[in-house]
Formats: sequence, structure tokens, C-alpha cells
Amino acid sequence: MSGDRYELNLLVIVMDVNPIWWGQQAQREPEFTLSKCLDAVMVMGNSHMAMTTTNRLAVISSHFQDSHFLYPCKNWTGGDGAWDGTMDEAPYCGDGKYELLSVANNVVAEEMKRVMSTTEMKGNSTDTLLAGSLAKALCCILLQKIVTFFSAGQEMKSRILVIKTAEDCARQYMNFMNVIFAAQKQNILIDACVLDSDSGLLQQACDITGGLYLKIPQKIALAQYLLWVFLPDLEQRPQLVLPPPVHVDYRAACFCHRNLIEIGYVCSVCLSIFCNFSPICTTCETAFKIQLPQMMKSKKKKLKQSI
Amino acid sequence: MAVYVKDLIRISHNWVDTHTCDVTTRGWILRLLINITASVVYPPLDDSCPSTTMASLSEEVLLVLKKVRQRKQDGTLYLMAERIAWGPEGKDRFTVSHLYSDIRCQKISPDGKAKIQLQLVLHTGESSTFHFSNDSSALTDREAAKDLLQQLLPKFKKKANKELEEKNRMLQEDPVLFQLYKDLVVSQVISAEEFWANRMSTTNTENTLSDKKQDVGISAAFLADIRPQTDGCNGLRYNLTPDIIESIFRTYPAVQQKYGENVPHNLTEKEFWTRFFQSHYFHRDRISTGALDIFSECAKQDEKGLKSMVVQGVKNPLVNLLSLEDKTIEEGYGFSAAASTSNPNRTGKENSNSAIIKRFNHHSAMILAAGSRRGDAPNDQASETSSTDGNSRDSDLFQPPIKKVKLQEAIDYLDLQREDGPKTVALNLKKSDRYAHGPVPLESQKYTTSQDIINSITCIRHEMANYVPNLAQVLTSSAVSSAIAALSPGGVLMQTGTQQAINQMVPSEVQGELKHLYIAAGELLRHFWTCFPVNSPFLEEKVVKMRSNLERFQMTKLRPFQEKVQRQYLSANITGHLEEMLQTAYNKLHAWQTRRMMRKI
Repeated sequence: MSGDRYELNLLVIVMDVNPIWWGQQAQREPEFTLSKCLDAVMVMGNSHMAMTTTNRLAVISSHFQDSHFLYPCKNWTGGDGAWDGTMDEAPYCGDGKYELLSVANNVVAEEMKRVMSTTEMKGNSTDTLLAGSLAKALCCILLQKIVTFFSAGQEMKSRILVIKTAEDCARQYMNFMNVIFAAQKQNILIDACVLDSDSGLLQQACDITGGLYLKIPQKIALAQYLLWVFLPDLEQRPQLVLPPPVHVDYRAACFCHRNLIEIGYVCSVCLSIFCNFSPICTTCETAFKIQLPQMMKSKKKKLKQSI
Repeated sequence: MAVYVKDLIRISHNWVDTHTCDVTTRGWILRLLINITASVVYPPLDDSCPSTTMASLSEEVLLVLKKVRQRKQDGTLYLMAERIAWGPEGKDRFTVSHLYSDIRCQKISPDGKAKIQLQLVLHTGESSTFHFSNDSSALTDREAAKDLLQQLLPKFKKKANKELEEKNRMLQEDPVLFQLYKDLVVSQVISAEEFWANRMSTTNTENTLSDKKQDVGISAAFLADIRPQTDGCNGLRYNLTPDIIESIFRTYPAVQQKYGENVPHNLTEKEFWTRFFQSHYFHRDRISTGALDIFSECAKQDEKGLKSMVVQGVKNPLVNLLSLEDKTIEEGYGFSAAASTSNPNRTGKENSNSAIIKRFNHHSAMILAAGSRRGDAPNDQASETSSTDGNSRDSDLFQPPIKKVKLQEAIDYLDLQREDGPKTVALNLKKSDRYAHGPVPLESQKYTTSQDIINSITCIRHEMANYVPNLAQVLTSSAVSSAIAALSPGGVLMQTGTQQAINQMVPSEVQGELKHLYIAAGELLRHFWTCFPVNSPFLEEKVVKMRSNLERFQMTKLRPFQEKVQRQYLSANITGHLEEMLQTAYNKLHAWQTRRMMRKI
């Protein structure tokens, strides 16, 4: 099943499963919990795989502990042919579903349960390790690209869909930007579906790589949004009327207060940005002088005296 | 018979010059004299004729020619200070009158023809022909008219105003500029001087660069190009053009000297050149015969010059000519060792060979010298010893410091040098983690207590432990329909997408018009904004004038366009941005004016 006519398309779904946010969400809105979200993601994954036989799927869960591949997974005892659909023992699903889909669903559910059951609160960090998950996604894509290129001689197109719930973590900024630029270099799209609060980093990611950013007004219709907006791949998107790109706020943040500023002072030695002028740069301790307007008056006086 | 009125006037001028000293009186008297002489020539005027009357001219009449026919009518031709006119015989008025500035050129009939004619071609393409039919003096008349016209026409030629030409050229080359010109100047929104104020400065510099022409040098083969043609009977015919003569003079100043001495006193030009070509000076074997030849001195001078050049040598110390010799390995390899040039017993053949070579060298050296001698030619005419050939220029260049530099260059190799990078200051960062912080506020907005955290985790664990995928119940139809509504055009999520591209809203002519409006508005706004900061009274005036220009532009161009678009294409608001820009300009001016008022108070 080489699928010569169709290109390989890999969709990597990175799901933010921060238990703290989801726990709070379960208390806020009981009709939309992690289970529902997972269902929607499964529907999306199934649809993607059902589009053509050469579509591939990978799901990564992004936790504050680690990032884990939900699918395909090594832990699954059903054989390691999870991606090409051949397996030794297919679990009986009972509804005549395409086996690949049922396998995928089962694997994802099992792995999610395992991840959640092993959740422990160690340390203080409650931030989702999104940058790490994206990096893992990129590695997976790269590996698959190489494998398919050498085994089947086919090119592979890929994209990443991020479903984000918690807030941005400022400490991951540098890694995040590196990931974004790496994705851009590899022509990998990063799409973002944001459930709670707007994320500036993801907006930048979508803008730079050419993907779509969407903040969903109704969480319970998540599956519908996913299928409508994020299921079509890159070639089909220009022919559809999709939500327009968001205006991205590219303003820099000053180093002293972390306010977003449009006009500021930049140290010419270390390039750090400040919102107010200070005679010594606090980062590199270079002293700066600014010409004060009083100098002009003294010059005028001098001229008068000379005449 | 031609009456030279200008002679009369000259005489009267002389009289006035000698007899009066007051300028105004002199002018008055002159005017009077001119009118008197004019009235002598012309009969008194007839008030009834509508065409150009003669006495309405207080112009100077320079030349009157009788018996000139035009269109088969006899008449008189008058050449005045600013125009030429012709009136039929017996009548007082001119039927043909052309200003000199309208005349493009004049033409005359060839010499051999019976009819002696003069034709004037105007700029518009029309032409008038005058036939000189005076039996005795037709030719002289015609020549007189032609000469006078030749003197007068150049003065009146539409002074090809270089600037005007430049402007026209610019307008023709750049259609955008032309359109802008039409929009602004022709419709009188802005004056032409302002329009050209900023543009002309850039073009003037280009003009001056192209004016410098290069001088033409001398062809090395100019003597050989004078190919003699056989005359048929044992003679040779040399064709000498002024170019060749100039080349000869520039290359051989001695010949020019001789020319100056002998022509035209002793010999005619033709004879001089005949002698030149006959002389042995010119010919190959320059064996000096007798002293009869005027050019034998030249030969001697050339020899002296050559010797001095050799003595001067090459001043470039890095070039060692003397080491170049025909060296042989051993005898018997086709060359005999005794080849010293100072051997007095040279054979005749060797002598002539060396003579030819000497001549070639001299010729080439003189051509090079002539090329570089341009500026100081008058000074160096007399002395050939100061031949400023390439060598001496070299010698000027190879002063000690340059020689040193050249030697230094020759021994320096980049690889051998130690790598000395530019001195840099080390970067000393105290708080480098600031760079890694993203544009996110330091303090997160949500605080979670540890109790909350524990609660959340237990909740989730509990939920996930009982999780069974239920894909068939993932959506409700109401949720779906509201989601679809939000995603459809016009929905909540699609708001910003309704800003359609202008090429989908209006046809291309309207787009083109909008583009022109933008260009015109941009030009006006540029004039407006360059007035700030307002430092001088000129700028103050200009700024107020620009505001009125902008308002006028808005009224005459922008509003009608907007109305037209709105009538036809309803909801399209494509001029909103233009209005915004204009409004910003008005606001700025208003703010400036109020500030000025405050300062005055």
C-alpha cells in the first residue's frame, strides 16, 4: 500500500491536558470536560485518517510533568504496526469500524488514562510544557519524513494542531520561538485552537508558519470547529472561506516591567529594551549620556560675547 | 536698388554721439531720427486697413528690397528689427509678416537656377517664398537678405529653453508624473512653480555630468591613412583633410613651426604640402640630402628629440630596461656575438633598418606625447626636449613614497600576516535571563492555591479513570448550528474578513482613478508636511496656501469621486483613508495655529 497517487499527510495533534486547568474547568462547566474534549479530538483524528489512506495521525499530550505520545505508542501490546494498520491481535470493536480508527481510539484512551493516573504534583510548576511537546512533534515529523522518503520514496507534508487551554508560560518563550522557526524552515504548519485565553505565542506561531489561529466561543462545539476549520489541509484551504488571520501583536516587552511597548529605549551594547531612559543599562552596565537642551543656551551666550 | 536704412541710422547715431551727452535726449533724438527715416521710406499710413500697418512700427527698418515678388505679385520686402514683412507694390500694408522667432530656417534656390528665390520655413511648417525679380541686382539683393537673416535669426531662435525642454522630457518619460501634473497644475489646484520646485534640482546635476565630453585623440595611423592615389600620369594625389593636417601638426610640432614660418608668406598651402610629401623627411629612407629641403631641419630636430628622450629614460625605478638585451647562450645558435651598436662600420642595410626603427619609435612617442600634451601645447611648442611623453609623467608619479608603497605591496602577503581582528569590548551581561522572557506579564493573572491544585488533580483523576470514549454523542445539533453560524461569512468569527479587496468591489477604471487621486493627494500632502517645522515667514505662507490647496483638492476632486462611487457601488467606502489623511493635515495646521496664537498672547 504505497499510495503513489496521494501524498502522505501527517497530522500531529498536541493536546494541552493540564490537570489543574481541566479540573477547574470540570467544576466551572461540567458539560465540557476533558472527556468531551478527548472525544472531539478522537473524532478529528478519525476524520483525518478517513480522508485518504495515506493520512497519518499522531497525538501528543502536553502535561506539566512531561509530554507523552498518546498515539502511536510503544506501550501498546497490540504489536508495533500501529501506523500501517497491520496488527497481530485486533481488539474486537463490535461496530464494524475501520480497524485503524478503532485501534487509534483505544490507544489514545488507554494512554490518557495512564497519564492521568500517574499525575503527581512535584515542585511548583503548573505550566504546560507546550514548547517541549512541539519539539517532540517536530522530531516525530522529521523522523517520519526520513523513513517515508527512504522506504517509499514519497514526500510527506505535515502539520501540527495545538489545542490549548491553560495560559502561556513566559519561561518557555525562547524554546517556543526556536520551535516556531524550525517549523517554518521545515514548512510545517502550526494551527492553534484556543479554548480559554488568547495566547500571544501561538498567534505568532500561526502567523510565522502560515497556519490558522482560532479562539473558540463555544467549547461544547469543539468538534465542529475542528472539523470545519482544521481538517482541510494546506492545499484546500485557499479554496474555502475560513476565518481570516488574526492581527498579531508583535510589540516587544520592556525588560524592566514586561509591558508591551511601541516606542522605547534600546541599549546599543546589549540590545535590551527599556521603557524609560536610565543612564546605566541594567543588563550590561554601560553608561550612556544624553545631550541635554541646556547646552544650546550656553552656546548662544558664547556667540553673543564674541561679537 | 536696396536702400540701406541702417546706414542712415548709423550715420545719425554717430551724429548724435558726437553732438549730445545727455542719455535721455539722445534716446529721444534717435527715436525721432528712426521715425523720420522710416517715414521717408514708407508712404503715410492708411487708417482703413486692418492688417499690420507700417507706421505702427517704431521698429528699426534694416533693409528694404524692391521688386520682390511673392505669389506672383510684385512688391517690396522689408527686414526689420524683429520681423520680416512684404507688402505688394503700391499698397501701404504688409500682406506677409513673420517674426524672426517664428522662422525656423531659410532656404535659397541653387546658384545655377534662373529664378532667384528665398524661402522662409516657419516653425509651424508653413513657408513663404520670395522671388527677387530685379533684373540687375536680384542676386545681390537675395544675398543681402540672406546674410541679414543669417545674422538675425539666431538671436531670436526660440531659446531652446533648456529647462522647458527638460520639463517636457520628464513629463513625457514618466506617465505617472504627467498624470500628476495634469491633475494638479492643469486643474489649478497647485501652481506650476511649486510643482517643479522639488523636481528640477535632481535633474540639473545629471545634465552637468553629461556635458563633459571626452577629447578625441590622434589616430596612430593618420599618416598611413593618406593613401595616395595615382593621378593617371605618373603623379600621386594625396587627399588631405583638416583632421589629418591637425594630426600632423599635433604630432610633429616642428612641421607646424615650418608651416607657420612659410605659409602664407613664401609658399601657398598647396605648395607647402607638396613639398612636404616630396621631401625625404616624409619618406622611408630618411637620408638627409642637401640643405635645400626646408624639412631637413625638421629631421635634425627629430633626431635631437629622440636622443633626449632616450637620455631621459624611464624614471620608474622598478623597471629596468637596460637589462633587456638579446642575450645568446652560446655562439653558433644562430646569432653572432659581435652586435654592438656603437660599431661605426655598419652596413648600409643595417643603417636603414635602424633608421626605420628609429622613425617608428619616434613617431609613436610623438603621438603619445601629443595626446598628453593637450593642456600645455602653447608652452611647449618651441622646445621639443621637454617632451612630456608618458615617461616623464611616470617619473612624476614615481616619487620615493610611491616607490616605497609599491615595494611594500610586492612583499606583503595577507596570509603571512598575523591576524589582528578589530579590538572589541567584551560583553558583560548581568541579567541575561531577561532575554529569555517572552512578552508575557511577569505575574500570572490567576492564582491557584495548593488546595485548588490538589482538588483539580483528584477530580481529573477520578474522571479519567471512568472514561469511556463516546464518539457518537460528541456534538449536539444546536451547538453545531451555532458554531456553523459563527463560522459562516458574516458570523462572529468572520468579521474582519469582510474587508474585501478593492479589486472585487469596483471596476478597474475606478481603481485607476483612485490611484491617481492617491498620487495627487500624496504630492499635495508632501508639500504640506515639508513645511513643518515652520521656521520662516515663507513657510508660514506656504503652509496656509497648502491648506487651501488641499481643501480645493478635496472639493474638486475627492468629493465628486466619492459621490460617484457611492451612487454606483453603494456601500463601498474607498476614500475613507484619503479623507483621514486630509483631516490629519487640517488638524495639524489648526494645532499649529492655536499654538502660535497662544505664544503671541
